[in-house]
Amino acid sequence: MKIVVVFKWARNPLDARVSADAAVSWPGVKLAASDDDPAAMEIAVALAAGDEVVGLTIGDGDTAWAAARGAARTVVVTGTPGEADSAATGAALAEAVRRMAGVGAVLIGDSAWDYAVISALAGRLGWPAVAGVTAAACSEQGELRVTRRLGAAIQVLAAAGPVVLAVTASRAEKNVPGMKEVLAARKKPAEKIAAADLLDAAIAYRVQTQGTRFPDTPPARVIDGGDPRTACEQLIAALRVEGVI
Amino acid sequence: MDTTATAEVDFDVIVAGAGIAGSVTAYRLALQGHSVLLVERGPSPGSKNLSGGVFYCRVMEEAMPGFLLSAPIERRITRNCLSFLSASSFVNLDYADDRLAQSVTAVSVLRAKLDEWLAAQCEEAGVMLMPGVRVDALITEDGRVTGIRAGGDELSAHVVVAADGVNSLLCRQAGVRGPEPLKHLAVGVKSVIGLPRRVIEERFNLSGDNGAAYAIVGDCTKDLGGGGFLYTNLESLSVGVVLRLDDLARSGESSAELHDRFLTHPATESFLRGGELLEYGCHLVAEGGLAMAHDLTRPGLVVVGDAAGLTLNTGFTVRGMDLAAGSALAAAGVVDSALKRGDYSQEALDAYPRELDKIFVGQDMRTFRRAPLFLENPHMYGDYGRLLSDIMYGVYNLDTTPRRHLAAGVGDALKNSPLALLPTVRDALAGVRAL
Ligand SMILES: Cc1cc2nc3c(=O)[nH]c(=O)nc-3n(C[C@H](O)[C@H](O)[C@H](O)COP(=O)(O)OP(=O)(O)OC[C@H]3O[C@@H](n4cnc5c(N)ncnc54)[C@H](O)[C@@H]3O)c2cc1C
Repeated sequence: MKIVVVFKWARNPLDARVSADAAVSWPGVKLAASDDDPAAMEIAVALAAGDEVVGLTIGDGDTAWAAARGAARTVVVTGTPGEADSAATGAALAEAVRRMAGVGAVLIGDSAWDYAVISALAGRLGWPAVAGVTAAACSEQGELRVTRRLGAAIQVLAAAGPVVLAVTASRAEKNVPGMKEVLAARKKPAEKIAAADLLDAAIAYRVQTQGTRFPDTPPARVIDGGDPRTACEQLIAALRVEGVI
Repeated sequence: MDTTATAEVDFDVIVAGAGIAGSVTAYRLALQGHSVLLVERGPSPGSKNLSGGVFYCRVMEEAMPGFLLSAPIERRITRNCLSFLSASSFVNLDYADDRLAQSVTAVSVLRAKLDEWLAAQCEEAGVMLMPGVRVDALITEDGRVTGIRAGGDELSAHVVVAADGVNSLLCRQAGVRGPEPLKHLAVGVKSVIGLPRRVIEERFNLSGDNGAAYAIVGDCTKDLGGGGFLYTNLESLSVGVVLRLDDLARSGESSAELHDRFLTHPATESFLRGGELLEYGCHLVAEGGLAMAHDLTRPGLVVVGDAAGLTLNTGFTVRGMDLAAGSALAAAGVVDSALKRGDYSQEALDAYPRELDKIFVGQDMRTFRRAPLFLENPHMYGDYGRLLSDIMYGVYNLDTTPRRHLAAGVGDALKNSPLALLPTVRDALAGVRAL
């Protein structure tokens, strides 16, 4: 089965700068492979069973990431509007997939870093999508069996026809490619397509983030300082509980 | 450009470390048509570099013509200020000069941006950039360096360039140097504080992309060896302290606390007020001057920049970036001819230290060789600042007692200071000679 793996399409939220007024900015932060990207790649290579795996990215910098992990070639979509507009990003990715004939599945790192892109991608393709995927296999009859985690439960679904699988990693990448693999990967073909050529200029893509809030913090605990000795003991006990000392 | 390697090696040259020294070396060699691999342990060049500072960047016009116009420069430094700080006062030597705007010898830079830009120039010139890979070891055969090991992989080259910074693991492995004694090392703790462009220009009396640089001694380090610095970027200030490790260890002070203390000193705080902390970090600085310079080559290996111990701290200026670029330029020239002749022996590569001696790098290292010793003088960091402020206090504190001539005022101030006249004069002379 011919498979497309989308990689390096989001920014790591840990790199965001959140200022005192809760405004979020991304100074100099690049699109990066997420922790889930390697898992998507691993499942893709297994599913393809020797058929072509194509890497698809909107990132710049080193675009040979998928090629170093088994993709035969890479399509790089340039000039996407980035984090400002997830709908446009999803639409550009979908159009790039549509232009590759005969794709059986699109694998992408799960949506924890950006819910909207994957939804837009699947919606634009008009394909079913499964999130939280931890494994996938193809039967001899060509039927796709997808394992996903739903809370504490594990579900195995049968899927027919082309699908979008959003993969969740359950462990860190095992075989990180070495320098030689990366160097060889850079010699594999990479095709650049401008996002403007993929997007319908007539459509105003708009998914805007309306706001952010700080995570809830537990309320402060006030220790009564009336008796210094007890207060010290309580403070030390509290610090121990919090793992500070 | 053809970056495929010649028959028996993977690359003509492998450069370890994409700081200023590594990137300039790689760039110059790629321009000469050699196949160059530039390996950087950070996920991208500059990503590991919180630092910034004043780059005495003349040398870059030779290394990369057009540098001033196209590189991501923050401000052109036209005001230099030397500030002696005591707990409640400061005495500034303030030097501003329009000529500095014309000649542009110093600019403020943020390394995260600069290093990324330098690496991009390298890639454009044909360098194969490999970020996210840490060089673990040099490979040697019969006493000759023949390549690098990283992860499980080995790659070979005619010449390896160690540009891996002040901690250079590669130099230590190659036996080029041992661990540095503490007194050759300092720790820099620094913050980048965001402020609107207009506010910075008002506070520092600047216009356009002109900038100011402050070097501060005295109370900012609680009299420990070292100093404070404060540089203007376009929309932020780089501010922090550099502390000599031996002094710091002896005093039991914490570098982070000294940094915070300096930032809240009234003289500093007024510049930073209302700013937003953008970055905070610490890094080792070598400040041993020529005492640190060691041999810089082995068969198949050359060492550039901080890895080669090329930093100068004169008290007025912290210099390392210009020396890194200068050494890179010299090394690239020598490695280029070595590659052309196919001779990577010790004798061939020893042309590099000789080349360094001919240019400003070697000459300045020699000129300022006494600077670290001079800066080792404990009075530099405390008593002189207090002495100066006492003298100035005497001059300006017109409390209706009759004034005396400046010389007598200095005499009084000296009497009240733990400093004695003769050693002070001697220090002043030593200072003039060392700097
Ligand atoms: C607080 C502070 C203030 C300073 N202020 C100034 C100033 O105002 N002006 C000035 O000129 N200089 C200043 N310096 C000194 C200056 O930063 C250095 O001299 C300069 O960065 C040296 O450049 P370099 O390329 O040799 O090393 P670095 O800039 O340190 O670059 C080394 C590179 O090698 C990489 N690396 C390290 N080990 C490996 C490995 N094993 N494998 C792969 N990559 C590796 C690192 O990630 C890094 O990118 C200051 C330094 C500090 C700490």
